[in-house]
Formats: sequence, C-alpha cells, structure tokens
Amino acid sequence: MPDIVLSNVQKSYGAGSPNAVSDLDLHIHDGEFMCLLGPSGCGKTTTLRMIAGLENLTDGEIGVGEKIVDSPARGAFIGPEKRGMGLVFQSYALWPHLTIERNTDFGLRLRKVPKAEREARVTEVMKALDIEKYRHRYPSQLSGGQQQRVALARMLAVNPGVLLLDEPLSNLDARLRLEMRAELKRIHAAFGTTIVFVTHDQWEAMTLATSIAVMNEGRLQQIGTPNDIYDRPANRFVAEFVGSPPINILETATGHALDRAASHWLAGRLGESAGVGSVGFRPEALQIARSEAAVPGDSFRHAAEVTGILPTGGSWIIELKVDGRALFATTTECPVLKGGERVFVHARPTAMHVFDAAGLRLAGADDTLARAA
Amino acid sequence: MATSDAAVAPAPVGGARWRYRLRLALREPTTVIAVLMAALFAYLIVVPILSILSDAATVQFGDERRTAGETGSVTIYYLYRAFASPVAHDLFWEPLLNTLKVAFGAIAISLSVGGVLAWLIARTDMFGRRWFATALIVPYMLPAWTFALAWTTLFKNRTVGGQPGWFEAIGLSPPDWLAYGQVPITIILALHYTPFVILLFGSALRRFDSQLEDSARILGAPGRVVALQIILPLMRPALLSAVLLIFAKCLGEFGVPYVLGLPVKFDVLATSLYRSIGSRQTGVAGVLAGAIMLIGVLAIMIDAHLAREARRFVTVGSKGAMNRLSRLKSWRWPASGFAAAIFIVSVGMPLLTLALSTVMHQPGSFALSNFTLDYWIGRDLPTVAMRTGILLSPDLWQAAWNTITIVGIASVCSGILGVLTGYVVVRTTIRPLAIFLRQVTFMPYLVPGIAFAAAYLSLFAVQRGPIPGLYGTTLILILALMADQMPYASRAGISAMMQLGKDPEEAAQIVGAGWFRRMTSIVIPIQKGSLVTGILLPFISGIKGLSLFVILAVPATDVLTTFSLRLVDYNYTQAANAVVLIIAGLAYGGTVLAQRITRTNLAEGLGN
Repeated sequence: MPDIVLSNVQKSYGAGSPNAVSDLDLHIHDGEFMCLLGPSGCGKTTTLRMIAGLENLTDGEIGVGEKIVDSPARGAFIGPEKRGMGLVFQSYALWPHLTIERNTDFGLRLRKVPKAEREARVTEVMKALDIEKYRHRYPSQLSGGQQQRVALARMLAVNPGVLLLDEPLSNLDARLRLEMRAELKRIHAAFGTTIVFVTHDQWEAMTLATSIAVMNEGRLQQIGTPNDIYDRPANRFVAEFVGSPPINILETATGHALDRAASHWLAGRLGESAGVGSVGFRPEALQIARSEAAVPGDSFRHAAEVTGILPTGGSWIIELKVDGRALFATTTECPVLKGGERVFVHARPTAMHVFDAAGLRLAGADDTLARAA
Repeated sequence: MATSDAAVAPAPVGGARWRYRLRLALREPTTVIAVLMAALFAYLIVVPILSILSDAATVQFGDERRTAGETGSVTIYYLYRAFASPVAHDLFWEPLLNTLKVAFGAIAISLSVGGVLAWLIARTDMFGRRWFATALIVPYMLPAWTFALAWTTLFKNRTVGGQPGWFEAIGLSPPDWLAYGQVPITIILALHYTPFVILLFGSALRRFDSQLEDSARILGAPGRVVALQIILPLMRPALLSAVLLIFAKCLGEFGVPYVLGLPVKFDVLATSLYRSIGSRQTGVAGVLAGAIMLIGVLAIMIDAHLAREARRFVTVGSKGAMNRLSRLKSWRWPASGFAAAIFIVSVGMPLLTLALSTVMHQPGSFALSNFTLDYWIGRDLPTVAMRTGILLSPDLWQAAWNTITIVGIASVCSGILGVLTGYVVVRTTIRPLAIFLRQVTFMPYLVPGIAFAAAYLSLFAVQRGPIPGLYGTTLILILALMADQMPYASRAGISAMMQLGKDPEEAAQIVGAGWFRRMTSIVIPIQKGSLVTGILLPFISGIKGLSLFVILAVPATDVLTTFSLRLVDYNYTQAANAVVLIIAGLAYGGTVLAQRITRTNLAEGLGN
C-alpha cells in the first residue's frame, strides 16, 4: 500500500460549530504502525474516519500514493467501499444476523472470490486469530474478546493495504487487552499491513506504535516515536497528557517559592532573556534526598515535605508538598521515608523540559542544560 | 516522521466545490429516495390538510347564493356559520362543550382508577399483579365502541326503537341520562383509556429509584411527605403526558358518541363533523376539521413542551436503582379485589354481554329456550334483511376480505415506508430534508382520524388534474390509512435505525459493499423484527379503526367496523354485536400473535 498523505485537512460539522479537525498534515508511511493519541473529542476518530472515507473533508486533501481520494477543491471523492482499507470499530459492529464465518467471508463474497480460495483464506485468518472453532456461532454467543478478534478477522480476510483501528481495545478487560496488544503487534509483523490506531490510552500507544501522533482540539501537537513523545514533548500539552503520574510543571511567572526558585535556577543557566514560561520534570526524574548535602551540585533542588507514600506494586508514588503545592515522584526502590518528613527534592538539568510562555518546547534549552550537566 | 510535504491543493474553485457536494449527495441513492419520499408525503399528508383548510375559506359548489360569491372565491361565510351564526351553537359550541366535558370526565376517572392500579401493579405485593399487568391492558386492545354496544345492549330504553336493552326487558327502565349521552360516553372512554395511565404511569413508577424515597425517609420524612414532595413531583411528567394523550384521543373519538350520543342529540365535535359531511356542508366541515386539528395540535404542543421541561429532572436509573415493593399486608385482598372488579367491569362484563346477546332471541331472558345460534349460523331468519346468521352472510366475508386487503396493504406499505423513512432520515447528508421527512410523517398524529378522513374526502372526492376522483374506491382508503399510520411507522423506523447505529453498515461499506448490497444483506435483515412490528401494529389498530373508514367507505368498500356500524343503524343488534366480537377477537389475537413473534410486550407500544 502506498503512503497516505493528509494535507491541510479541515473538518467542520456545519457552519458555526468549531472545527473538529484543523490544519492537519500527516504522512503515514507504508508499513507503519501509527497511533493517533489524544483526549476524547480531540478529532482523532474523525481523522480516522476521513482516511476511511466515512467522513468527507471540509477542506484540504487526502491522497493515497498518487491518487487523490478526497478533495473538495478538486471535486474528488472516492467512496469507502473503493478505498481497499479495513476498519475495526470500537463497537466491533459485527453483523448480528450472520455467523462468524459469514461475517468473515462477507468481503470475499463481494469480491466474487472462488469458493475454494475463499474458504482457504477464511480458515487461514480464523486460525491466525484463534476463532476457527466458533465459525458457526453468532456474534451474540461470543465474549467481547472473541468478538473483537472476529471484527479483526473480517477486515484481515480481504487483505486490506491499511488497517484502521478505532479504540478497538477499550471495551476489553485488562488481561484481554494485554493479550490483544501482543496480537496486534504480531499481526502487524506477520501481515505487513500499515496500521493506524486510534486511542486515548497512552500506554497502548507507547507499547504498540512505531510512531505516535498526539492530537488536541483538532490539531496535531506532535508526531514522533514513542520515546520522542515521552522524552522530548514538543509542548506542554504533550508533556502533561503523556505520563502517569503526570509530569510536575513549575510556572515561572507565579510568586510561589518553588516557582521562583526554579525560575532563578534556570535564569542562572539559560540567561534572563531565554523566555522561559514553565519547566517540567517527570516523576521518575524527581529524586529525593534526606539532606541537601546528598544533592549533586548541579541539580535543581528545593526543600519539601513528604505527605504520602502510595505503593503501586513494584513501585511507589511519593507525594510531596512545597508550601501547599503538590509534587509527585516515583521510585522502584522501597522508600525509607515517613509521612511528614522534611526532605530535599532535586532534578538533573538533563531531566528538565523547558517551555516558553506559549507552552512550546524551548529547543535551545536542551543543549544548554546538557552542556551544563 | 514528518508532516506532509504534499503539494498544496489548487485555489478553491466554486464550481468544483459544488460538484463535490453534488457528488457526495448523489453518491448513494439515499438522497434521491429521500426526495421522492418527501414529495410522496407532501402529496399524501400536507396537500389533503391544506385542501380541507382551503375548503373552509372558499365558496363551495352550491353555496353561491348564500355566500353571495362565486364558487372558489374567498369567503368567511363558513367561519361565520360555524362560530357566530344562530346555528353556531348546535354546529360548534355545544359539541365543543360536550367534547370537553366528556374528555375531562374521562381523564379524571381514568387518572384516579388507572393511577391506583398502576401503583398496585408496579409497586406493591398485590396478589396476581403480573396477571393484572397484562389483563388490565386488554380494554385498549379492543375497539372503544365495543363497550358502547355492550352498554346499549344492557341499558337501551324505549327512547329509541329496536330491541330493548336487558334492563328494559326485565321491567327496569333505565333513565335516558344513564342509557345515553354524557354519562355512558364518559365512563366508556375512561375505561378504554385507563390502560394508558397504567402503562405510562406504571412504567414511570417502575423506573423510579427507591433510593430517592429512602433518602427522604432516612432524613425523617413521614410517608405523606415522601409521597407529596418526592414521588408526585417526579411522576408529574408521566401523568401530564397521559392526560394530554387521552385528551387528544377523546377529541377524535367517533364511534362511542355516535352510538350513545345520537339518541339524545348529544353531539361532540367528531359527530358534528360527520353530520356536516353527511349533509354536504363541505365548507363547515372544513371549519370543524380545522378546529379539531387546531385543538389537537395545541394539546400535542403542550405535551411536547412539558416533555422538554421534564427532561430537566430525568431520574437516571443507575445500577443502584431499586424498585422496592410496598407491603399491603391486610390490604392485599381488597387491593386485588379492586383490580379484579375493574377487570370485570372493563373487560369481562362487556364481552360477556355482547357474546350472550348474540345467542339470545329476547334480551334479558335467560330461559334455556331463549338461547339460539341462529344469529351466527342460522338460515331463513324472520327478518327483512340479514336472513342468515352472520357467519353465513356474504356481506360479512366481503367486509372481512376488504378489511384484510385494505388494512393489510396499507400496513405493509406504511411499514416499509416507515423503515425507509427511518433509513433516509438517519442517513441523508442533507439535514433539512431529514427534518422535513421527520415532521411531515408526524403530522397525521396531530390530526384526529375523522378530520384526516374529511381532508382526504375534500382532496380526492373529485378529479383533480390527472388524478381521478377516488371516492368509493379502495385506493382512497388504503392511501388515507397509510398516511394516518405514518407517524407510528416512521417513529418506529427512525428509532430502529438510531438503535442500529451506523457501524454495521459502515463495516460493510469498508469491505466494499455498495448501497443496494448493504440494504439487502445488512440493513433489512437486521431490521426484520422492527419491520414486522411496524406492519403488525398498524394492522391491529387498522382493524379496529372506525373514524377514518366511516367517512371514506361506501357499502362496496365496507370494512368490518363500518359494516357493524351499518348493522347498528339498521337495528340488527345481534349481528352488529357478533361483528364487533369478531373484530375484538381479531385485534386481541393479532396483538398476542405479534407479541409471540417479536417476543416483546406490545402493550407498551400500543400508543395508537
């Protein structure tokens, strides 16, 4: 399947209502496993449906290889039934009146594939997804996880060039979800299909994707590998959306002691005119020392009070307060701290994410801080 | 991984954008079908209504002298005649007053009786509450004037000719006020519409979360306070909705006041309209029909407004919602006795009376020799006409055949149109078209059957353009019935399509199925159940329908209901009662059958 290219895509549901998707440029390469990640209502499902052809554009263009599949300005539109893609719905949308086998071979029958070939293909796909023993059952007789696999099988049977998945795991319980994640990764490898996957679950995106497109309020925030997204968030939205417990953010403009200290510390290294608006450090990068002497000399530091230790099984979340402001740290070593204890929190310069007043990452700050370390 | 570097689209061209929209709209036949259906419904629903309204304001053929205007010119003569002339009192004001008296009387009785029954069934441990939950709905499955005929069979006195009632026959002469007019009409309508209250109020009570009640009790509120300050305010929307529904139904009710009101000249709006049509006062009929529609529209608008208001305090039945039954203790038996008494009065007695009357020569005499099956299967009876038992009469079979074909064809058509309406309303990309279809198919609901029939008569009685005069044909009945059933059919279709959602169809689209393939392989098979319901429900209500047919049917196109009414007019009491029993049997049997087929409780969907 050739690359899918979205250029300057706009989508609005009627004049007056805010755009569901604005100025979206996205290039999905052949064989990629791309996650569209964002909170609900961010336009990710709309984007997926526009790629599938189930929604039309308000403006912009979608191309598949050389072919324009949707472009209001050129008056071009190719219907979803002719795009040769597969889409797995959040609700699975299995046809309740057809058996699993008929659900799966529906597309092949449409393509008038000869019977022998059709049966071989259906059996192959069913075996791969371990649903062959249910072939004569109806969807209502299957569990959620099994239905989910049928929905996948139905689309894989016609061997689509692109597989679009709309939050397909959100209706499964935690264990099944884990299994299906592995399954999807295996399918991606085995069938070599391009996969576009919509989710609001960051762990799902992190564990599955070869690249993640983070969206918010209809706009693309950042596109990159999972590590890029986590380690070098392009703006405050991405930094705060990805990661749990959430990233600690200090805003330089407030009068709070902690913020003032951070502001002062950064000014000393980046200069007064660097235009710093806020700085963040992830909970695992926030370290705790019982005395200031134990803090490395070049780290940012501040006195704090331990207010809570929450075990999460194998790791711990430590809640701290500085003058009423909450901070979170995580650790994989059993903490020896007690509630109410006075400690010093500190963070390495390289662990700092520095943003300007508009919330965009200050690109220059990373290098400067790295040199300082 | 980068954002796209694809070439920027050329400057938008107006023409291309229109072509794009047109291509999207015409990519699938949905829009074309929607346009065709909008045109069809405009012709079958909007035009007849406009036609009768214009009748009310233009000089009708034959009225040139009285109105001092040419046929077809605008006049206020009919408005004057109906509202302000010396005969206005008899034509409009008195019938209006009678309609209101009967409607409010029926509402008061059915609310108090139905309210208690709904509570007993939904929230208490009364004996046999499950059985009563179904049994007490039966009156609604039977035609209302079944009860009117049973009433006359019992209470008819010497004011009118023909066979006397049972009481008269045994020497107890019932007074006119008990035999005819306001009192019996009110009682019968109340009994007929009590199931409404039981269904609407009962389901609201069932959904009511006991925890709301418990919270008040834990705070120390006594039972009376809980009832008045918690339960009643939350139940108000359901109660008001039942009130307005009953009111709208009473407005169009024709059969009961026709049978029981005529002997004492107790006219309601529906019978006054019928008389105006009968005496060829088309203009006045237009005014009366318009007035009935207006009142109907007002009632529905108030209902819609209240329903919107009610949404403000929807009680969400969460997982914790509980429906705890009140213990009646020593009141269990009296409560069950009350429910049983209502069942006997509203179902048992009327049906038994009718059944007995068809096998008795002389009314009210229970000597064995008085019983006969002659009226069902006898030959050479000593009557002027109807010389055979009803089952041997070709007229009955003709009427039955007419009923099945006319009602059957209309129901199948409206069922299919309903599913199609649902489909295009939910799927079309052109919103104004969807809104128009939704509203136009709902319009007949606002127009009581008798006014709608009058509208059809006004439009189709004579040749107009290429359409020949349809009066006296079965086609006019089919068309009118079809249009009259569209509100229920389209609502059912729309809600079924909403429930189905887009996903199953889009999934088929994704794997490459075109429109027709999706319709035949996905949408219709999945919607089979709702299509069956959408045909069966109108069929059942069509079988027992009277007001539409009484205006549009002629002897050749008699259906069972009009046939039995004709027999009433000719005083063939036994035969008329027998036909009504057949109708009641068909309606009840059809409902039960439909419930079996669809495995649902149709009583709850019998809002028509």
